[in-house]
Amino acid sequence: MDNKEKNAGQTAEHEHISSYAEHFGTWIALCVLTLMTVFISVFGADLGSLTVATAMLIATVKALAVALYFMHLKYEPKIYRAWIIVVMALFVFFLTMVIIDYITR
Amino acid sequence: MTATALPQPNFFQAKKGIASWIFTLDHKRIGLLYLFSIGTFFIVAAGLGVLMRLELLNPGRDLMDPQTYNQVFTLHGVIMIFLFIIPSIPAVFGNFALPLLLGTDDVAFPKLNLLSWWLYIIGAFFALGSLVYGEGGADTGWTFYAPYSVKTGTNVTPTVLAAFILGFSSILTGLNFIVTIHRLRTPGMGFNQMPLFVWSLYATAWIQLLATPIIGITLLMIVAERVFGIGLFDPSIGGDPILYQHLFWIYSHPAVYIMALPAMGIVSEIIPTFAQRTIFGYKAIAYSSMAIAFVGYFVWGHHMFTSGMSGPAGFIFSILTFFVAIPTAIKVFNWVATLYKGSINIQVPLLFALAFIFNFMIGGFTGLVLGSLAADVHVHDTYFVVGHFHYVMFGGAVFAFFGALHYWFPKIWGKMYHKATANVAFVLLFVGFNVTYFPMLILGLQGMPRRYYDYLPEFHGLNMVSTFGSWIMASGLIIMIVNLFISWKNGAKAPDNPWNGITLEWQTSSPPPLHNFDKMPELPEGGPYNYPDAISHQEKN
Amino acid sequence: MDHFVLPNSGHNFDAKSSKMGMWLFLYTELLLFGGLFLVYMLYRYANQDAFLLASFELNVWMGTINTLVLLTSSMTIAMSITALQKGNNKLAINLAWATIFAALVFLVIKYFEWGAKFDHGYFPGMDHYNELPHGERLYFYLYFFMTGLHGLHVIVGGIFIAVVIKRIKSGRVNKNRISLLENSGLYWHLVDLIWIYLFPLFYLIH
Repeated sequence: MDNKEKNAGQTAEHEHISSYAEHFGTWIALCVLTLMTVFISVFGADLGSLTVATAMLIATVKALAVALYFMHLKYEPKIYRAWIIVVMALFVFFLTMVIIDYITR
Repeated sequence: MTATALPQPNFFQAKKGIASWIFTLDHKRIGLLYLFSIGTFFIVAAGLGVLMRLELLNPGRDLMDPQTYNQVFTLHGVIMIFLFIIPSIPAVFGNFALPLLLGTDDVAFPKLNLLSWWLYIIGAFFALGSLVYGEGGADTGWTFYAPYSVKTGTNVTPTVLAAFILGFSSILTGLNFIVTIHRLRTPGMGFNQMPLFVWSLYATAWIQLLATPIIGITLLMIVAERVFGIGLFDPSIGGDPILYQHLFWIYSHPAVYIMALPAMGIVSEIIPTFAQRTIFGYKAIAYSSMAIAFVGYFVWGHHMFTSGMSGPAGFIFSILTFFVAIPTAIKVFNWVATLYKGSINIQVPLLFALAFIFNFMIGGFTGLVLGSLAADVHVHDTYFVVGHFHYVMFGGAVFAFFGALHYWFPKIWGKMYHKATANVAFVLLFVGFNVTYFPMLILGLQGMPRRYYDYLPEFHGLNMVSTFGSWIMASGLIIMIVNLFISWKNGAKAPDNPWNGITLEWQTSSPPPLHNFDKMPELPEGGPYNYPDAISHQEKN
Repeated sequence: MDHFVLPNSGHNFDAKSSKMGMWLFLYTELLLFGGLFLVYMLYRYANQDAFLLASFELNVWMGTINTLVLLTSSMTIAMSITALQKGNNKLAINLAWATIFAALVFLVIKYFEWGAKFDHGYFPGMDHYNELPHGERLYFYLYFFMTGLHGLHVIVGGIFIAVVIKRIKSGRVNKNRISLLENSGLYWHLVDLIWIYLFPLFYLIH
């Protein structure tokens, strides 16, 4: 793919360096989201059966924040994001089929 | 050869001593370590197979009691699946040939590669260690279905742990290959200039990587269930044994393609070399490997049609199963089209490749019978299934393994095997194979159930035929192995490129030097199988 | 011994290979836990009320504090990478130590949580556990299995980071050769990612 680049030796010069501020901002957002999801659950913001959905939604937003910023996924080649989508899609398919089997059994 | 390059010692001569082998980081040596360890287990498990056929020669008890028979078929399955066929082609020939085919000197993570082999050996010890104490080896079949695997008194725990550890080994090999293929291709080799064996290893590696963890965690659940006495698949606490089957086959169906895809890759190497002709439909073959790997994730339910899974789920899985036939058929058509008007050089590797196509077709068509929901209910758990998967695994993957062994034998050892003897061995194997397993397909349709040490007298005739076949096959196997051993020691010296192949491994000496290439390998113009003769041949027409 | 070396040698250090390998490994880890999440989802679907009742036995506040601890540790290891990239070895080491400290805090809190459950006999096989209804038994089995496996990953991640600290000190991991620290960071973030899902699934059922 990029042999020329690799042959140049060190690859460090292409590395994106995230700032401390970016990490700190991500952390603040994650903490806020955590408190929010606890608040919704414990103090019974009345969302009925939607609480599971909101909890999972918030968890997913948090997971994305960790992956994109802490894990630098945002700055990695596209293929890393494509792979992770494939992995998640496989998991969703596994889950769907097992649930379909259970519901219709 | 450039004038400056001194002849380097080959990888056998580079270092001596047992430690230089078992702690080697050289991919070629690791490949050979796998070859000898895997080969040993294959011989053991093949022996067990012959014993089972011997027990089934006559109805009633001949040789072993029912419990022993259960343990023997479990051990046969566990060794053949986890210790032989899943690692076989990727670990042996993937390791040996992948860096050579890519024009590099090793895999991306040589130490991880060595760790994979050690994990393999540790796993093997666990698998065989279960035999020697307590109630003896597991009697669950290689599938470890809950709840029986949790209740039986035999040593299921070490066997399951063995499968877990071997899975880890498989994951690391896959991981290593993916990174190697992405990062270490020779300059100028894009994905579409890779040999097709590399493509098939790439597809296989993704299955190893993404399917194996599911069975890893499932087997850990079984271990926990045995340790605590209660567990997640235990109906007495509301658990669901069918869920175990789901989780098991989410891995184990894709695992079928871990076995089949590299075999297809081998065939895709052998056929253009011996037809001296550009492969027909390079991209179709390459992408169909990826398609098989991908579709393979969606069809596991066809192993569970009679398990109590729901009708609608069975219906969906049955439809999805038929999609696998499409990329498989694409490959077969392209192989046959490659042979058409080729200048065919009939050698043992090509014979094995052709036998692969023949056997795999029978395995594939019987697979369609089993994939169809309605038909499967009748032949499920009969000898039809046994016949089917032996056609795919043995007739397919193992024949390709033997083909690869003969194809790269001169490259590995720099010697040529005795061709006439190899031909005899091939004929015995091919005939013996079909005589052994074809009767099983008929017996299954007649209703003979699998996994019993006994059968009704009406099945006697065909069972005798099948057992005779196993003797023919065993003699072929012995002749082949002895021939290869003698040729390894005393064979005639082979040239660097005995088959006139143009993939990169043929550009280095045989055996290759420790660092594979003494000069920069040259990519063939216009694709990995672009035979110069073939081009002029086409132009003439 | 002199010999010809290919430009694409597998024996060259290659930061990109190293990172790619780690990501591939993380995918397998995701699916390893994925198998457990799959079991959890199915059993929760089948035993909704029992899972709700059982979840009241967990201490939400301990869970919340542990979540915040892990998130903080994720930040410190990410900042440690930034520090090393900028050549500030000392700060990088201190931030990595902070991560290990957070891992220990997490494990101590977990120890008290598990301890309380043991005291009340909720561990699979204990007397009280055996009297629980089916769904609650599945819940506690999954709780111990999943948080236990996660805890194991916390320990492994901590050891991994400790090894990296040693190598930063000896200079084997440095500004130009940062892969090992990055990989330990990626592994640590994965531990955090798993917890991000475990937390609402076990503590916040409502």
